[in-house]
Amino acid sequence: MPHKTFFAFVMPSLIAMVLFIALPIVSVVVQSLYVAHDRVMVQVENCQPFGGCSTELRVDAAATAELQAEQPLGKFNGLGTYFNRAHLAFDELGVILQTNRGLGDIWNRVLNLPFYKGLIFTLVYCFVVTPLAMALGFGIALAVNALPKVTKGPIIFFSLLPMIITPLVGSLILYWMLSPNGILGATIQHLFNDPTLSLRASPGLTWIALLLYGVWTNGPFSFVVFYAGLQTVPADTLESAMIDGASRWERIRYVIVPHLMPLATFVALVQLMDNFRVFEPIVGFSAEANATSLSWLIFNDLSGDTQQFGSAGATSVLTIIGVVILLSPVLVRTWREFKLKVV
Amino acid sequence: MSETLAHKRPAGLNVLIYGFIVFWVILAAFPFLWTVWGSFKVEADFFSRESWWNALFGTNTIRQTGAAFTGDGYYGAWVTRDFWRAAGNTIVVTLFVTIISLTFGTLGGYALARSGRNYAFWILIAALIFRAMPHITLVSGYLLPFFQLNIWGVLPTSIIVLVAINQPFTLWMLHSFFLSIPKDLDESAMVDGCTRFQAFRLVIMPVMWPGVVTTGLFSFLLGYNDFAVTAMLLSADNQTMVPKISSFLGSVQEAGNVMYAVAAVVSATVPLFILVLFFQRQIVSGLTAGAVKG
Amino acid sequence: MAQIRLKNISKRWNNFVGVDNFNLDIADREFLVLLGPSGCGKTTTMRMIAGLEDITEGEIWIGDRMVNKLEPKDRDISMVFQSYGLYPNMTVYENIRFPLKVRKVPQDQHHERVMKAAAMVELEPFLERRPAALSGGQRQRVALARAIVREPNAFLMDEPLSNLDAKLRVSTRAQIKNLHHTLKTTTIYVTHDQIEAMTLADRVVVMNKGLVQQVGTPMEIYDRPANTFVAGFIGSPAMNLVPGSVENGVFTAQGIRIEGLPSTTKGPVTLGFRAEDATLAQGQGQIEAPIYSVELLGEATMLSMRVAGELVSIKVAKDYRAEIGETAAIAIPAAACHLFDQSTGTRIGA
Repeated sequence: MPHKTFFAFVMPSLIAMVLFIALPIVSVVVQSLYVAHDRVMVQVENCQPFGGCSTELRVDAAATAELQAEQPLGKFNGLGTYFNRAHLAFDELGVILQTNRGLGDIWNRVLNLPFYKGLIFTLVYCFVVTPLAMALGFGIALAVNALPKVTKGPIIFFSLLPMIITPLVGSLILYWMLSPNGILGATIQHLFNDPTLSLRASPGLTWIALLLYGVWTNGPFSFVVFYAGLQTVPADTLESAMIDGASRWERIRYVIVPHLMPLATFVALVQLMDNFRVFEPIVGFSAEANATSLSWLIFNDLSGDTQQFGSAGATSVLTIIGVVILLSPVLVRTWREFKLKVV
Repeated sequence: MSETLAHKRPAGLNVLIYGFIVFWVILAAFPFLWTVWGSFKVEADFFSRESWWNALFGTNTIRQTGAAFTGDGYYGAWVTRDFWRAAGNTIVVTLFVTIISLTFGTLGGYALARSGRNYAFWILIAALIFRAMPHITLVSGYLLPFFQLNIWGVLPTSIIVLVAINQPFTLWMLHSFFLSIPKDLDESAMVDGCTRFQAFRLVIMPVMWPGVVTTGLFSFLLGYNDFAVTAMLLSADNQTMVPKISSFLGSVQEAGNVMYAVAAVVSATVPLFILVLFFQRQIVSGLTAGAVKG
Repeated sequence: MAQIRLKNISKRWNNFVGVDNFNLDIADREFLVLLGPSGCGKTTTMRMIAGLEDITEGEIWIGDRMVNKLEPKDRDISMVFQSYGLYPNMTVYENIRFPLKVRKVPQDQHHERVMKAAAMVELEPFLERRPAALSGGQRQRVALARAIVREPNAFLMDEPLSNLDAKLRVSTRAQIKNLHHTLKTTTIYVTHDQIEAMTLADRVVVMNKGLVQQVGTPMEIYDRPANTFVAGFIGSPAMNLVPGSVENGVFTAQGIRIEGLPSTTKGPVTLGFRAEDATLAQGQGQIEAPIYSVELLGEATMLSMRVAGELVSIKVAKDYRAEIGETAAIAIPAAACHLFDQSTGTRIGA
């Protein structure tokens, strides 16, 4: 295809991606280097008819607004935002490392730093939910594959629901069931005979609930992909394995799993990417007191009354770095394959 | 094959398989059924301190409204709290996001599938990286410029942003669908006298419909399910359903009207149910198309 | 109708050479076959003529126009693809009509021309069907009809028979030959099947690894292969090639001795002879070796023997019978022998 035709076709899509994905990334980096202006103060002499005069400092609203309008980004702050308490917090980390009372203490104190609280939960969510959801999906795929044909359709229908449901809506539905007044929450209290047991009160329970939600909503994707993969397992190989005397388990282990391995890599990659931006469930579960994520931190910075663009920008940049690290094995592999192809 | 082997499976294994499937179906479906059922009750039943039998039989619902089912939640959400407006916005946003995404995506995906050049490869890799960007990080890049340009808060801005965010995925998916259409087809069209664009429009698109429908479903889902973009980029008047539900949560809970939120949540779920009901096959094929290619 | 001229055509992808410095004049009304194994550059050459592939170097002329920069649609050629490239959403009738429609041929001519093209390939009963409802042979004929419905400068055919079964291939081959006779349109035909090349072509271009090996009529190529590649590619079975040495017109190698060769060269050579030129010897033969296998073909019997490390095939009378391992004596007339340079593979002598 000639260059001109190619770019004529790709242009709309390319422009959209450059304007609304590439440029915002640049914009985020720039924003992260600035902080909001200090308010402009003026000295005002305040004279009372009977008390003489006093001077006081006041915010000059007009001047502040003018400054804001002139330089909407705020004032330059360099990497200051990155190192402050709300982000990488090196100073605080240093203090914690010097004055801690054991690992538990480090853990608790690090979790009090907002960025690390978000980062740790994000990573835990990524690396716990992804394998569990894949295992669940693989299990369902194997089981559904063994069922009679007529039952497969409806089961696939129900299985798709947790996946296609709006994340916020799905997490709300589970949250209501798990809340102390909901059917599951009440049952759990009853089972453990502990009326104080509740999501709100227990960080551990909140984490478990969020992780369960993650597995619930991610499992179906693995299921569908693995189930489709199972349909393409070569019957010849499977049958020769049977004739060679492989048991059911050995057939799964030596024929099916290797066949599905490339799919599994793909699923793992997609789910890691998606889980790294975990956000809606934290809103849905109102979990911010006990668990936050990187995306939630950015959301929180942006949605307050005073929008902290600098802080949101810094967290965004750190998040993007995280994504790149997560993707780097794929990128390195692609690059190598590409080099091989060229040479 | 599975049928012929089914009778050879040991009974224990069959029990395990069926047990597991029943467990999973309950896990997948029960929360929805329960919430749909409960949305027709009053709060005292759905969030019952005493016993969940109340929710089943509607004890308090009967006491408060005289019948076992009530539409009060729905009335409150749709009429009192103007949820209909959010629903209208959602229709506008998802419709346009789907149409524009598909227009851009088919053009781009086609070119990427048919060009064997290096830059096509790099565009796809860039799209893969863009696909991995958390949406909220991009949103934090939009806000300030959008305020400056005075385009914050309106539907068209959100639509074009969602289209852009959706492009990487759409491009990949359509690209793999186009790859499955033999090159011979557009080449014969071009020899027969078509320009590239005519070949695309007259010959390729007519056989691409399954791929377009499938990709369209996923574009629809992205627009419909989005929270990060619509919550941050739309003013309160222009909110779509999902951010509306989120803003319900705070205000409604304090006013003792949680059932409004429950009704709104169920309302937002119904279209998705219908979607899966009618397009189950396309959704499955879309997920696997991406996987087989990926 | 037009002649086609290829001037120093090359195609390279990065470091890979697809076609190297291809020069050819194709006369008006000629049926030219590009023949070679897969990956030899024959399809690439055809696609460059069609405009589906960029030309790295050189010029292509169709008639008196240099077409390098022209889009496929502006070159006024038609093409039959290996997998036919039928439009699955259109009926047979619409498929055949499509080139007329997009080329804005006046509407009132469409029906007549479609019917005429359909009649030439006997498709009238299937006009309302879609390609999916046709057999392989019928689809192939739709592709042909679509190519002939307008009168283009040239037909390009990319292995049009390779997806058909053996029996259909023979009849469709005859049909293509007949079509060319009727329409007299310049045709370039790509194939890897030497029988198709021999039966269809006015001239054959044998290609290997992007290079033209020989250009000639089928008989020239069969009778006087320019090098060992052509010798080994043409004929069924291919020409036997035996390494050995020649001196004073006598070729010798282990198990083989042929005298009276009209050759003045001396030293290592490759001897070539065809299975059908060899006969059972009355008395002493030029080859005496144990039989490796005996295959009954029906119209003949094929012997394989190991000579100078190579397995050679000998076609003998159909009632000949022998046991594997028996020694047979084979006569090869010196006039039926070809000599090739052992290092370059090129033909020695006339």
